[in-house]
Amino acid sequence: MKLSELAKKTDLKSLNKFTDKDFEGVYISDMVSDIITIAKPNSLLITLQTHKSLIATGNLVDLAAIVYAKGKMPASDVIQLADKAGIALFVSELDAWALASKLFALGVR
Amino acid sequence: MSTCNHKWEMADIRNGYLVMEGCPRCGGRSASFSADVIVPMDERQEGEHFWVYLGSSQAAKFNLKCVECGKLVDLDDVMGLMMSTCDDPQCDVVKIAAREGKGAWVYVALCADSTHASGKCVSAEGIKALNEYFNQNIKVPGKKIVVVPCETCCSVDRCKGIVIADVGLTEIY
Repeated sequence: MKLSELAKKTDLKSLNKFTDKDFEGVYISDMVSDIITIAKPNSLLITLQTHKSLIATGNLVDLAAIVYAKGKMPASDVIQLADKAGIALFVSELDAWALASKLFALGVR
Repeated sequence: MSTCNHKWEMADIRNGYLVMEGCPRCGGRSASFSADVIVPMDERQEGEHFWVYLGSSQAAKFNLKCVECGKLVDLDDVMGLMMSTCDDPQCDVVKIAAREGKGAWVYVALCADSTHASGKCVSAEGIKALNEYFNQNIKVPGKKIVVVPCETCCSVDRCKGIVIADVGLTEIY
């Protein structure tokens, strides 16, 4: 599924310009030590953490996109770093569980 | 000499704490990994150093293993990774970033002792494997991860960067 299609079907708000592409898989975590050891390249990360270290980690793992759950908003310098790293940022008003349920219903694995 | 075109995966993943200590006598900083449930915070004497607890963060340690030939690279000497945002033109990390060009991201592999008094840093074999691991699955055209040992920095304690660490997650308790 493409990022734009995901955003449309799950009511995600985009926080930066992004290259529309197919992503592969989802991981949910608020811990960078988890993300670096488990998240896969070109996948989607759902998190509550808006810290810059998430972008540093996401760039290292080569995440396709990060979705902040529960309406969490990162600071502008975090968005700028994600822009530079080519990581798409989205916000969802849903909590991680509700968003994950929606993704599962859409066939995302 | 191995002719294997290594395909790395993480192995021996351990969860625990990265513990930071400082020596008020020499100004040095020391890092260690603890798999204990409770973070060790005791002050301790070690030769000329008197190590005092500075802080800790939840962390994971791992090694790298080649799925093709079974070669295992021990990364026990890596205490963390830092995305470099250094802009000191005298710093070798900045020079490397400039040399690698657009699309390159330099990450500094942090060893246990910022003073490098022992002459040791992260092993060359570990740095090579980390570079191969983080670059082997990149999907973005033109993107490159460059991992360098922290002895490359002009000063690890002053160098600007974003340390990949779960700082503060347990401090609300």
